Amino acid sequence: MTDFLQNLISGIAVGCIYALAALGFVLIYKSSRVINFANGQLIAIGAFTAYALAVWMGLPVLLAALLALLLTALLGFVVERVFLRRLVGQPIISVIMVTIGLASVLDGLMYLTPFGSGNFTFPPFLPPGGLNLGGLNISYPQLLAIGFTVVFLLMFGWFFQRSVLGIAMRAVADDQMASMSLGVSVEKVFALAWAIAGLTAAAAGIVVGMVSGLNQDSLIAIGLAVFPAVILGGLDSVPGAVVGGIIIGVLQSFSTAYLDPLLTQVGLVGGGSQYAMPFVVLLIMLWFKPHGLFGTEEIERV
Amino acid sequence: MRNPWAQTGNYRTSYAQDTTIFANYREIVSVGLLLVALCLLPLFLERSQVLVLNFILIYAIAVLGLNITTGYAGLISIGQAAFMGVGAYTVALTAPSLPFWLTLPLGGLAAAVAGFLVGIPSLRVKHLYLALATLAFQEIFVWVVGRSPALAQGAAIPVEMRNFLGLEITFRNHNYFWYYVILFVLVLMVIAWRNLLRGKYGRALIAVRDNDRAADAMGMDPGRTKLFAFALGAFYGGVAGGLLAYLQRAVVVEEFTLARSVALLAMAIVGGLGTVVGSLLGPAFIEFLRLGVERLSEWMKANPFIQSITPAGVDVASALLPLSFGLVIVLFLIFEPRGLYNWWRLVRSYFRTWPFKY
Repeated sequence: MTDFLQNLISGIAVGCIYALAALGFVLIYKSSRVINFANGQLIAIGAFTAYALAVWMGLPVLLAALLALLLTALLGFVVERVFLRRLVGQPIISVIMVTIGLASVLDGLMYLTPFGSGNFTFPPFLPPGGLNLGGLNISYPQLLAIGFTVVFLLMFGWFFQRSVLGIAMRAVADDQMASMSLGVSVEKVFALAWAIAGLTAAAAGIVVGMVSGLNQDSLIAIGLAVFPAVILGGLDSVPGAVVGGIIIGVLQSFSTAYLDPLLTQVGLVGGGSQYAMPFVVLLIMLWFKPHGLFGTEEIERV
Repeated sequence: MRNPWAQTGNYRTSYAQDTTIFANYREIVSVGLLLVALCLLPLFLERSQVLVLNFILIYAIAVLGLNITTGYAGLISIGQAAFMGVGAYTVALTAPSLPFWLTLPLGGLAAAVAGFLVGIPSLRVKHLYLALATLAFQEIFVWVVGRSPALAQGAAIPVEMRNFLGLEITFRNHNYFWYYVILFVLVLMVIAWRNLLRGKYGRALIAVRDNDRAADAMGMDPGRTKLFAFALGAFYGGVAGGLLAYLQRAVVVEEFTLARSVALLAMAIVGGLGTVVGSLLGPAFIEFLRLGVERLSEWMKANPFIQSITPAGVDVASALLPLSFGLVIVLFLIFEPRGLYNWWRLVRSYFRTWPFKY
């Protein structure tokens, strides 16, 4: 039982990271119907920026993290202005391919920095160990991941319910034409969505960096793991992104703990089912409930 | 047709003429010349250069398949490399017991079944969801192959073919022999492609791509058409993968990863979606770009001046490839979304209308 709860908690901690990354992804999709394949690269860039500011420039970790969030948001904004803006009205394949090409460009740019290869760890600013709750151990980085996500979600909740910009974003997501004719600047909303996506990606990257260190490949892989999360929750649902992210995180944690020994017995050597599990879920969801748990079901027969 | 030197427009007067494979006899002559040139080309090339050509032709077959799924039916497939992999592994498993002209179509069929399964969500959802289904298949494929003892956990499985109709295939003539096999298969696949897509099924694919509800109203079954597109595109991928297995004398999972899928998609777009010429130009362009960048980074590694100005820990050589690749994709999509095919078309129409401007 303790094992089970322990796995659950570490799964939730990882899932919170996915949820953060998925949030930006969903925002972009919801407002502009663009699937962003460069999400993993934004995560990596956010994390590396924070590292560079904290370790090379010697800034306090919290200040460095804050600056990295803002810089990555700026990067998201610039990406929208420079690349996506030109593709409004183009077929969907062009838009998807541009984000894929962009991912490749960002990869190349990262190889031009020392971050391209090797592992980096943030200077520890949290005390070692963690909370002990009746035999359960929650490490401080895990606690940080969960706390960070909760804070972000509360902020977003407030932003979308109360602020003018948030309401404008919801309006554009619901009906672009109508909101345009009522004087909402769709352009501004698109740019804002990308900026927020950069912000959340960087947040996810920084948390990963604190929990398990920085490595370009594994940070980019998080960008891929986000796809199952958003399909599970519903591609255009913000709460869905969070729920989907946490479910995927928990599933991964469970498949490492329970499925891998089973697979090893059956003869599939090595296990590592946590890498395939999200995509199996993705495929099954697409077969049976393609719009996800919370996604809006488009009423049309294809 | 009456006077080809003063061709000013469309002389077709019947539906049968409109659906011929070749528009006029000049096209037949030029395609024939191209084929002869391609047949003679290896005589002037070294073994390693022929190998490059072989890869380009194999990718051309895979890209032709992608041009059915993505170019014609408009279904984005980020899993073409995995379909190639299904074909390659089928070939690797059947090659010891079957001749190669049987294993190749078998590989294609296995891939087509996979494509059919991956396409099932297309019965209910569109566009982006399908792209993600192919992505999921791609990732699952790599994982399954990488973990299965039966498939050597992704390490090399040898694919041997020692002789063909009395001709002994040795290290020296290996590339040349497979060049002609691949060329033959490619020509066959191109003819099938043109034949299929100029008729009923091809038109159905276009109709479903452009507006699937209208196509539905006109009596086509959009779901079935999309499944057909997926299966057929995967078939081409499977055959290409099988050829790759024979050419390399082995299969390794690294050949069939997400990066390769993306590269194939880039080839299709750079060449021009939904065109035969583009399916040849795209792979050639991307492969030569890769070779050029590799040559450049080797030169940079050897050059002491560039070594002295790059800071420690920075790997410029491995940065250049993704950087140039991504830039090519982005620039083409922004400035020439119709791809190299459009340049080819412009050049051709320039010659045809000379000395008039248009």
